[in-house]
Amino acid sequence: MKNINLSKWRYVSSAISILLMLASLTIIGVKGFNWGLDFTGGVVTEVQLDKKITSSELQPLLNTAYHQEVNVISASEPGCWVLRYSDIKSADTEPSATDIKQVLAPLSSEVQVLNSSIVGPQVGQELAEQGGLALLVAMVCILGYLSYRFEWRLASGALFALVHDVVFVLAFFALTQMEFNLTVLAAVLAILGYSLNDSIIIADRIRELLIAKPKLAIQEINNQAIVATFSRTMVTSGTTLMTVGALWIMGGGPLEGFSIAMFIGILTGTFSSISVGTSLPELLGLSPEHYKVQVISDTP
Amino acid sequence: MERKPNQRLLNHYSAWKYVVLIATLIVMLFSALPTWYGEDAAVQVGAKAGLTLTPIALRDKLQAEGVTVKRIDQKNGETLIVLDEDSQQTLVKTLLSSMVTEPKELTLSLASAAPNWLQSLGFQPIKLGLDLRGGVQFLLDVDIEPVYQTQADTLVESLRQFFREHEIRGASARVSAASVDQTSQLYLSLPDNDARAAVRQFMKETYPSWQVTNADSANLQAKLSLEEQTKLRNLTVQQNLQIMRSRIEELGITEALVQRQGEHRIRIELPGVQDPAAAKNVIGATASLAFFEVKESGSVNAMVLNDKSGNPIYVSRMPVLGGDHIVDARASIGEMGMAEVNINLDRVGGQKMSEFSRSKIGKPMATSYSEYSRDEQGKAKQTQEIISVATIQSQLGDRFRITGAGTYQEAQQLALLLRAGSMTAPVTIVEERTIGPTLGAENIENGFAALGLGMGITLLFMALWYRRLGWVANIALISNMVILFGLLALIPGAVLTLPGIAGLVLTVGMAVDTNVLIFERIKDKLKEGRSFALAIDTGFDSAFSTIFDANFTTMITAVVLYSIGNGPIQGFALTLGLGLLTSMFTGIFASRSLINLVYGRDASRHVKV
Repeated sequence: MKNINLSKWRYVSSAISILLMLASLTIIGVKGFNWGLDFTGGVVTEVQLDKKITSSELQPLLNTAYHQEVNVISASEPGCWVLRYSDIKSADTEPSATDIKQVLAPLSSEVQVLNSSIVGPQVGQELAEQGGLALLVAMVCILGYLSYRFEWRLASGALFALVHDVVFVLAFFALTQMEFNLTVLAAVLAILGYSLNDSIIIADRIRELLIAKPKLAIQEINNQAIVATFSRTMVTSGTTLMTVGALWIMGGGPLEGFSIAMFIGILTGTFSSISVGTSLPELLGLSPEHYKVQVISDTP
Repeated sequence: MERKPNQRLLNHYSAWKYVVLIATLIVMLFSALPTWYGEDAAVQVGAKAGLTLTPIALRDKLQAEGVTVKRIDQKNGETLIVLDEDSQQTLVKTLLSSMVTEPKELTLSLASAAPNWLQSLGFQPIKLGLDLRGGVQFLLDVDIEPVYQTQADTLVESLRQFFREHEIRGASARVSAASVDQTSQLYLSLPDNDARAAVRQFMKETYPSWQVTNADSANLQAKLSLEEQTKLRNLTVQQNLQIMRSRIEELGITEALVQRQGEHRIRIELPGVQDPAAAKNVIGATASLAFFEVKESGSVNAMVLNDKSGNPIYVSRMPVLGGDHIVDARASIGEMGMAEVNINLDRVGGQKMSEFSRSKIGKPMATSYSEYSRDEQGKAKQTQEIISVATIQSQLGDRFRITGAGTYQEAQQLALLLRAGSMTAPVTIVEERTIGPTLGAENIENGFAALGLGMGITLLFMALWYRRLGWVANIALISNMVILFGLLALIPGAVLTLPGIAGLVLTVGMAVDTNVLIFERIKDKLKEGRSFALAIDTGFDSAFSTIFDANFTTMITAVVLYSIGNGPIQGFALTLGLGLLTSMFTGIFASRSLINLVYGRDASRHVKV
């Protein structure tokens, strides 16, 4: 591969990365997230009904029972419905409203509750705070480790790539308005780890080359490092994408959000570690001097 | 440095390393095996249940009701009925309750389906989370505010009395509105500096747990010290945990989990339960406490209550005092080295107790504990029993102690029960999740299908891509999974959840990374013209620091997730973190020992990996 072309490719893709990131931030700002039950509080019930019943029959019945607009979504299987509404105080309504089987009795006598969750608003709030805290703590710890292990210019590249990946995944969830729940948050945190994985392996190579070949230009070193690690990057990203893909296809509804987030995270993680991850340290003026072996004087 | 004459052997692992490796693999394999067989739903009949049927008669009787029984074990009077279909567990329990004298002794449980020889080795299947097994989960919030409030109210009463006794005119004490941090604050307006000094002195001596600060000119502010707040909170939550545990026990679920979550939350997991309403009735019971005068046995004008061992005790019909007057109760060791329980009453309670005890010195006084609860059918019921009988030593005031409660542990238990009647911290259910059993089974099926597919693709890919070394990576990957499953089964408290399975799937994808990094290095070294054996040696060495760096950051996120997350997320963090450790073990150590054996002496150059 022509290394000059590679440099050019890196700069162009870095520019694209930054543009995409800005667009992502705008999307997040404009659309916001479709927070899941874990964070908002409320009630989610999944029921199995007679297959003939349609949502237009369900909707008015539920709306009058719960005195609010009940969110009715058809689940993957026919006759399966996910009902979502905000929590009601049992004192406010007739006692029958608390039992979904009685509410739906006029439509179908065969009501099977597959699962139901009731989360108080306070708990949701706390979970959101905890999640934010987890994200923050993980970031700070990683930052600490990176700055200890690598020179700050090199570390900043990895860090920028990391923020890029997380923002991109978040933007995807804002754009599609897919539910952002606790498992998706876990995926975002796992992306933190995996995105760094790629960046660190390239950074390790850059460091090695900087020490071994201090005469070489930094662009050249970066290019060599990318080429040297390229087949590893592809193989590992490939196997991880394949397994996450398997999870996406076979894992069913509860893991869908998780696997989509991971899938996108791994894709952008690979891309960003090659593009912005290496270009930023270059821009910040990383040079072999930063890794020159310190001469220790013989006399104490 | 001089080269030693007998140089280190290239690519050689000593025999003990192989012993360690093989032993680890065998133990982990055995530990992982029971999970393969899974668990069957079972109903356990305790020895005291009074089951008279023989196993064969029992089986026939159940079969007549359409229940397929897998096996019935009878050991030391206990009977375990293992069922073929998990969904029939509750039905069987109902059926059995008509066949035994003590239905309380029936418990829902799970029995390992692994063959006996495996079970006798002591290996258990991996514990499954609620999202995989089905069941009900509650999150309870313990409201601590009323506990602080009671403390503040008592202090106000006590201060007013102090003002009267010392004739401090124009002084007043009141509870000011709850401050920002939700704790009660006291505001004392006092006429002059002398009064202030006197009050400060009084507070310091009698209520050291309150922090007194100057509000303005002569007035004071008092607030519970942070230390005391934490102490009260811990006591209250612990006492509620205790109460919940004993109540859940009545539900008869052996696998139930009751644990504290965060500062003032309690999480209850009831696997196998499908109807949250029944469990809710049991959880939402209230407890109270009362003091009674003990009458002579056989006395006509008396009420009979049983003590813990079932002996009848005759007590007055009306209690001297209800538990709502108790402000605090703590166990301690008295001057004589005897365990005692110190009880604080509020002012009204103190007066009542003082009047009663004046004439009853040397006579016994009984303490009863009663619990109002709803049974599984929703009917309210009350249970009352005598928890202690103690002799009144002298006239009692608002602070007194009970001796004769037994050992220190028993005194602590009593104090706990006494507080239960006093610190009535309202408990509310803030989160409730029900996962139907079919959904749980579906989740397991989907999760493991994904794991199987992911594993299959990865194995195939590695075998095709690294033809010469691919099989090493594949063996490493398979042993990685074996060790991971083995560890999950071995580690106490480890629970496999649905996100946990996702973590396993991710681990499969990432575990090969270690091998990929090493193989790529070996390729590089071969290109530089080294022999295969030498390339293997340097390849492993140079890849190590990279592998460590790359895994370390993921480990950080796993640890953060585990410590901050809850239930299912912790399951994910667990498999993710353990997966990193095992993948390093198998990727570096196991694959190296394999490669050493096969290619360790291969001096040929121009090898294609």
